[in-house]
Amino acid sequence: MSVLVLDNVVKSFGNFKAVDRISFEVEQGTVFGVLGPNGAGKTTTIRMITNILIPDEGEIQLFGEPVNPVHQNRIGYLPEERGLYKKIKVIEQLIYFGQLKGLTRSFAQKAANQWLFNMDAKDWGNKKIQELSKGMQQKVQFISTILHSPDLLILDEPFSGFDPINVEILKKIILDLKDSGKTILLSTHVMEQVEQLCDNIVLINKGKIILEGNVRKIKRNFGRDYVLMEFEGSDSFLDDLHNVKFINRTKNRVEFRLNNADYTANQILQNAIDKKAEVIRFELVEPSLNEIFIDVVQKTGGENE
Amino acid sequence: MSENTSKIMTIIKHEYITKVKTKGFIIGTILGPLAIVIVIGAVIVVTMLSMDTGIKKIAVLDRFGKFGSQLVASDTARYYLTDLKESELKDQVRNEEIDGFLILPEDILENNTATVYTRGGGGIGFIESIESSVEHFSRIERLKNAGLNTDVIDIVEKGINIETEKVTEEGVQKDHTEAFAVLGYILGFAIYMFMFIYGSFVSRGVIEEKANRIIEVIASSAKPFEIMMGKVVGIGLVGLTQVLFWILLMFVLAFAGQPLLNSFISEPAIMTPGMMTPEQMEIQAQFGMVKDFLGSGILIGFLFYFLSGYFVYSTIFAAIGSAVDQEQDAQQLMMPVSMLIIIPMLFISVVMTNPDSTVSVILSLVPFFTPILMIVRVAATQVPFWQVALSVVLMIGTFFACIWVASRIYRVGILMYGKKPSIKDLIKWVRL
Repeated sequence: MSVLVLDNVVKSFGNFKAVDRISFEVEQGTVFGVLGPNGAGKTTTIRMITNILIPDEGEIQLFGEPVNPVHQNRIGYLPEERGLYKKIKVIEQLIYFGQLKGLTRSFAQKAANQWLFNMDAKDWGNKKIQELSKGMQQKVQFISTILHSPDLLILDEPFSGFDPINVEILKKIILDLKDSGKTILLSTHVMEQVEQLCDNIVLINKGKIILEGNVRKIKRNFGRDYVLMEFEGSDSFLDDLHNVKFINRTKNRVEFRLNNADYTANQILQNAIDKKAEVIRFELVEPSLNEIFIDVVQKTGGENE
Repeated sequence: MSENTSKIMTIIKHEYITKVKTKGFIIGTILGPLAIVIVIGAVIVVTMLSMDTGIKKIAVLDRFGKFGSQLVASDTARYYLTDLKESELKDQVRNEEIDGFLILPEDILENNTATVYTRGGGGIGFIESIESSVEHFSRIERLKNAGLNTDVIDIVEKGINIETEKVTEEGVQKDHTEAFAVLGYILGFAIYMFMFIYGSFVSRGVIEEKANRIIEVIASSAKPFEIMMGKVVGIGLVGLTQVLFWILLMFVLAFAGQPLLNSFISEPAIMTPGMMTPEQMEIQAQFGMVKDFLGSGILIGFLFYFLSGYFVYSTIFAAIGSAVDQEQDAQQLMMPVSMLIIIPMLFISVVMTNPDSTVSVILSLVPFFTPILMIVRVAATQVPFWQVALSVVLMIGTFFACIWVASRIYRVGILMYGKKPSIKDLIKWVRL
């Protein structure tokens, strides 16, 4: 079942078309990545899903009906720019946000305490936000997003500001939520996280979708033209290569892409052996999502503004 | 309860409780009346001190020769007779030996003119008091010349004090016109303070939510209109709590304070029941006034104009707060709105002294001025019913218009970051 459907959605600000005919569907129980360079129209898209903005054209369906304010209670939204009331106690703040999502006071309080406990933060309840470190504040903010156990969770750069340990905790929570049937919309610039978490993605640039689909399929379709090589001895064979795009080149290790190069992988390997390089490893791999991102975005004209 | 009322109620409760629990509010509510008493006391002391320093030494050169000595006798602290020449007196003024001199010319009765020479200034009150004394004595002189005897002149010159009584359905009562005019001033001033202080609470709250990026989370949970009105109503209720607490305090003082004060003064051994000492009668009168106020429509008027004024201005303040990224940027947009609150303060004494004049009526019916000026009139005079009704209708209309405009600005403003908007931008957002 599709939890979220966008159908030809358009949103303009004055003469600027922030979102230009975007359509996609998000299945229940999946993690869906919304990717794109800065200013691509991701935040505007998310704001329309959360009913903060109304589309100029097109339709957004949530849980099988046109989006309306009642849906807000079933959505949890973690904006990229975080913020909490500095002078209010953690527990009061969580209760308030929970109540705004339709929870009763007592239920919100119970849920808040439970999550503070789960996230190793059970002693923070009576502290004011300004007494907490940045990372602790991020945790509180994350709890406020999931407190009301939303069916659709929208996370915009959820891992920024967290240390590696907490990033792992967060990833685990996200995957647990997914397993329990919740749907997650994830927007991030960290492609590694997308590869780890997302089932499907859309890549947006200049308000339009330039790439979409299953992460595995996208990588497969992009072709195996990504070469990883380790060797000893002379690397002079590398200097003969033209039209090859080097990604990492060190003395004994190189990564490059063959995109439209004049050589096949076999020819390069042959050349290396001819030039007396001792090849330890030669592998044709799928490109990383990072590579695909850069490649596709550059083809459509880089960042906005 | 529907979805929307429960959300707006949540916001109202949150705004109310977080504000009421602050130390600032509790201290302000308790110490507020004390501060007011101190300020009023200070004003009275300063006024009395400034009255004393007004006396100036004036030499009287009596060329007319009829009432110079009587004039001096009427106020020896100020006047003294002199035989010096005009030019010598001028020198003395120039050398600051005397403050000034008054010439009563021979033809004073024909030309109706006497001249005061000073180094300049002295104040209108100073000139007026000389004028009225000279006028008084020259009038007696004229009456004498017309052949009236001193008995008749005494009768003519007898002054009258006007005591005011007001006739109401309950019969004739002691009228506190003067005291109530001052009361009107105080109430008008209180509304002015409330609109500014609580209005800025609203704008500061809106800016805090925007600057700390809380607003986007809240906006994904409730409609912008609910968020704005929840804040405005919640903080308004905080103000109402404070006002009601103070009114309650007045009730307690008025009804419990009088017997308490009486018990300090009375001497039960000598006094027969039902009789009062003059001190007690004075206290009785004072408390009677407070009771009159508490029982009158003034109180209801005050609450209405206070609330409606607060709503009109706080919604505008909310809109301005939503448009800027930080408090400093708000100043420029606040200016014209602040002017609307300050302008009635410039007219408040005019309205207080002449509450029934056409100017007062018109000014008090301008919606943005109504909260401050109408309460002054309501206290100071019997405002015709149609004027009160009209002002109520206009205030409610303005209130809804302001909510409409402000919520349209707010809706756009809370999501706009980066550039400092002009008034022109705000107008554009309303139309968006």
